[in-house]
Amino acid sequence: MFKLNIRIALRSLLRNKPAALINITGLTIGLTACLMLLLYVTYERNFDRHDARTTRVYGVMTNVPDGKGGITATFDGTTTALAPMLRQSLPALEAVCRLSYGSIRLIASGEHAFKKEARFAEPEIFQMYGYRFLSGDSTTALADPHSVVLTASMAKTLFGRLDVTGSRLRYQDQYDLKVTAVIEDLPLNSSNRFDYLMPWLFYETVDPSAKELNWTNYSFITLLKLKPGIAPETVNKSLVTLLKSSGSDSEQPHFIFPLQRLHLYGKFEQGRSVGGDIEQVRLFTALALGILLLACINFMNLATARAGRRAREVGVKKTLGADRRSLVFQFLTESMVLCLISVALAVALAELLIPAFNSLLRVQLNVGYFNGTTWLALLAIVLFTGILAGSYPAFYLSSFNVIGSLKRNAPLRRFLPFSMRQVLVVVQFCFAVSLIVATLVIYKQISYIKNRPLGVEVQALVEMPLEGNLKTRFELFKKRLLASGAVSAMYQSSVKLAHHSSNFTDIRWPGMQAAVNRVMFNKVGTGYDFIKTNGIKMLAGRDFSPALPTDSGGVLLSARAAKIMGLKDPLGKVIQVMGERRTVIGVFADYVWDEPAKTNNPMVVQMEPLRGGSMTMRLNTAHSLEDNIAAISKIAREMNPAYPVELSFMNQVYAGKLESERLLGLLSRIFGGLAILISCLGLYGLVSFSAEQRTREFGVRRVLGATLLNIMQLLSAAFLKLIAVALVIAVPLSCALMNTWLQGFEFHTSVSFWTIAVATLLTLALALVTIGLQAVQAARANPVDALKYE
Amino acid sequence: MIELNNIEKYHPAKGIKHYVLRHVSASIASGEFVSVMGPSGAGKSTLLNILGMLEEPTYGTYHFMGEDITSMNERKRIELYRNHIGFVFQAYHLIDEMTVQENIEAPLIYKKIVASERKSRVADLLDRFNMVAKKDLFPSQLSGGQQQLVGIARALVAEPSLILADEPTGNLQSAQAAEIMSLFRKLNREEGITIVQVTHSEKNAQYGNRILTIEDGVVRTDTPVAGQL
Ligand SMILES: Nc1ncnc2c1ncn2[C@@H]1O[C@H](COP(=O)(O)OP(=O)(O)OP(=O)(O)O)[C@@H](O)[C@H]1O
Ligand SMILES: [Mg+2]
Repeated sequence: MFKLNIRIALRSLLRNKPAALINITGLTIGLTACLMLLLYVTYERNFDRHDARTTRVYGVMTNVPDGKGGITATFDGTTTALAPMLRQSLPALEAVCRLSYGSIRLIASGEHAFKKEARFAEPEIFQMYGYRFLSGDSTTALADPHSVVLTASMAKTLFGRLDVTGSRLRYQDQYDLKVTAVIEDLPLNSSNRFDYLMPWLFYETVDPSAKELNWTNYSFITLLKLKPGIAPETVNKSLVTLLKSSGSDSEQPHFIFPLQRLHLYGKFEQGRSVGGDIEQVRLFTALALGILLLACINFMNLATARAGRRAREVGVKKTLGADRRSLVFQFLTESMVLCLISVALAVALAELLIPAFNSLLRVQLNVGYFNGTTWLALLAIVLFTGILAGSYPAFYLSSFNVIGSLKRNAPLRRFLPFSMRQVLVVVQFCFAVSLIVATLVIYKQISYIKNRPLGVEVQALVEMPLEGNLKTRFELFKKRLLASGAVSAMYQSSVKLAHHSSNFTDIRWPGMQAAVNRVMFNKVGTGYDFIKTNGIKMLAGRDFSPALPTDSGGVLLSARAAKIMGLKDPLGKVIQVMGERRTVIGVFADYVWDEPAKTNNPMVVQMEPLRGGSMTMRLNTAHSLEDNIAAISKIAREMNPAYPVELSFMNQVYAGKLESERLLGLLSRIFGGLAILISCLGLYGLVSFSAEQRTREFGVRRVLGATLLNIMQLLSAAFLKLIAVALVIAVPLSCALMNTWLQGFEFHTSVSFWTIAVATLLTLALALVTIGLQAVQAARANPVDALKYE
Repeated sequence: MIELNNIEKYHPAKGIKHYVLRHVSASIASGEFVSVMGPSGAGKSTLLNILGMLEEPTYGTYHFMGEDITSMNERKRIELYRNHIGFVFQAYHLIDEMTVQENIEAPLIYKKIVASERKSRVADLLDRFNMVAKKDLFPSQLSGGQQQLVGIARALVAEPSLILADEPTGNLQSAQAAEIMSLFRKLNREEGITIVQVTHSEKNAQYGNRILTIEDGVVRTDTPVAGQL
């Protein structure tokens, strides 16, 4: 019977090609989305879960107080002094490890130099992460201060082979290191990634701030591994008392957070995890399931629309001795067959789409990620889809009683003033309309943020890392670039223009109320021409001037900094920055850095001895861009041959800050498009079915003198009413939803009348076209043909 | 085999009882071939549907093979369909997606008969009805008469004791109708299958051995067929 059911299902698919096509298209799209989702969720859920030893690893988190008892931010940076203290006084810990943030640094094997991601760590890192050693071992890998551990692909890049332990490498064109181990590449879905790893001992010689044990510089990661059976809360409690008794002047409370959850749940508010990447996972899940649901609705609607035809079959089978179960089973088989066809297509389609998807979400998925559980999940999705799509029609159809269904054109029973089919069409269009509204609002918000004045003239502004020889020969480099005419102004600074990492609280000003400042300030150390190069507006005072030697002890305040300090007339006032006295010589207008939709920390800009960091240059617009770049590259290569020339355009840097919004916009566009496509396909199917059923009625009406337009109206009205209902429900709902989304941005646009109008008109237009296509056909049909039919 | 006692059937329409059958009492013995006749709208199909348990009478009792139908549950009724009753319809009602062979086989599948037995029974019937060459065709590829033959084969395959046929030849030309009717008579005489058919044709009624005439829901006459054809 099962085989016969499948045969019959295939035959009935072939007999109803348009319906089959609509169903297969929809289900394939929906299942493809689900398949991608499955891969993506597997990828995200396995973040940092490649090795069992990671389950007991926790990261130490730091809360940044806002000075009013609340917490403004939480991050994973800790001081250098924390780890040694914990190691000594917390017996609950199995291991403690200090780790640097990754940074792109030069590493060279002879002539072959590359800039790759470097990290420094204490040897305990090998107890935290389960790196697989291809050569060397965990006991010796980081023992010698001048050792380096390479990942397999780093070894391949540098040497072209893997057996390279013992080989020499040169770090930053300054230090000689020996390769002590090669490990397998770290999976993309692991945190704290690197291309090469060096000992903490070496870090202490490279960066003095890593050597000095302090309680103020939160620039290092601390990982802990708890002994088995230790609850994290007990460690948290001990942390608080320990920090108090240690006499550190650190006011920032620490807490520990599981490393395996950090990626998905790493967003904190008031020191509590409130989500993170899990939100993206959830959003994507909702969208993919939504699309699948739309496809299932198409199946249900087309199946029940054909109920009249199938009713007879049900009636006959009942007289042959079929019970209800066997009928339900038969209809479910039909939807399963359809699902299986679609899932086969979906797997092929997903295979094709994965590369695009990977570059879109910056992930690395492949079907190889599929393991036993994923296949089971896939099977579950197919079964679920088949049952979801098939069960309503199956139970509906199998419930027909014999007599009703065998009489011709017997009207089907109805309990409510509207049918399930109408409800489902409304649900479909609600979903589609909501996605259209979301797309429009996201687009509007992105352009709003984009069009917000940056406070910096980003056109023709480029930046370049300040490293190697240039650190000592910056002045000469600057002179030569200015002389070449490629650059009209430039400066060096400790941090990049669009991203400042140096937050601090150690600042005092005249008239300060509190004993200690708790507001996070941001510091930029620079030389001359910061204001001039960036085109930042001065509100009072002036930029640093080489003509006045006293300016080396001067400081510029951002407008926000001046406001927080409450200085009426800031010029000439003396403030203390990290213990140093500095005279305010100017106040400049706030500009955008870090998050473009947020007010940033108050800022101080001061002259500092050159220590490396970044250079920012304004290109001379009198010359072509190509000429400018060529001139800069030539001079940079001449003066700093060990390093590649890396120029970034500031307009692109700023555009990159809207990345996650761009992604959200893209997702909503793609899913919105698919939702509308599937819904319209379903609508098309229903309209054509209704047209077919009413062929004779239309024929009679035409003969009685109805115009083409009359017929079209007759056919469209019922469906347009449903679309209208969907609009009435979905537009206010989605507007409210998007409004809450907008509230998440400090600077945000609003949902306008135009958003609503465009969404409404777009939906109506698409629905009208869909219905119209069918209606014209039905109305045009020769009435004589129609009447001959019966 | 069939005992009808004081059967009434009405459809309530806007508070008025619209009677279709009134005080119908009849008994049909095993092995009879009964033709039900009467004007259009008289209630013939309704009577047949009640006999086939497709409709329930509003009043009265109906015993089928000694069992009271009115108190019978769904499961038991499906059992009766599977083992004792075969239906033949005026509009054939073959299943479009199934071939001739599959259509005939369908009742046996529901009856949970094993595949080998099904194959041999279907082959027998195909042979008997001269349809072997057509076994893989779909209903739409057959003439009306051929479709009705398949319909009858389908009704017979489960070896029922009663065949209910509502105007089985209504859509057929007289030559084909005569063929179907002789087939019925043969089944009735040689295999002892009880047949109740509704017909509008005097001639077709003569193939049976008893004629019930119904008018306005009431049995008017109940006469044996004198010189059976
Ligand atoms: N569901 C119903 N509701 C109301 N009246 C009904 C219903 N079904 C049947 N009838 C009425 O019952 C009467 C008998 O119908 P039935 O189909 O039994 O007639 P018939 O004798 O088979 O006629 P014909 O020879 O045309 O097939 C008719 O007058 C019909 O209008
Ligand atoms: Mg009738």
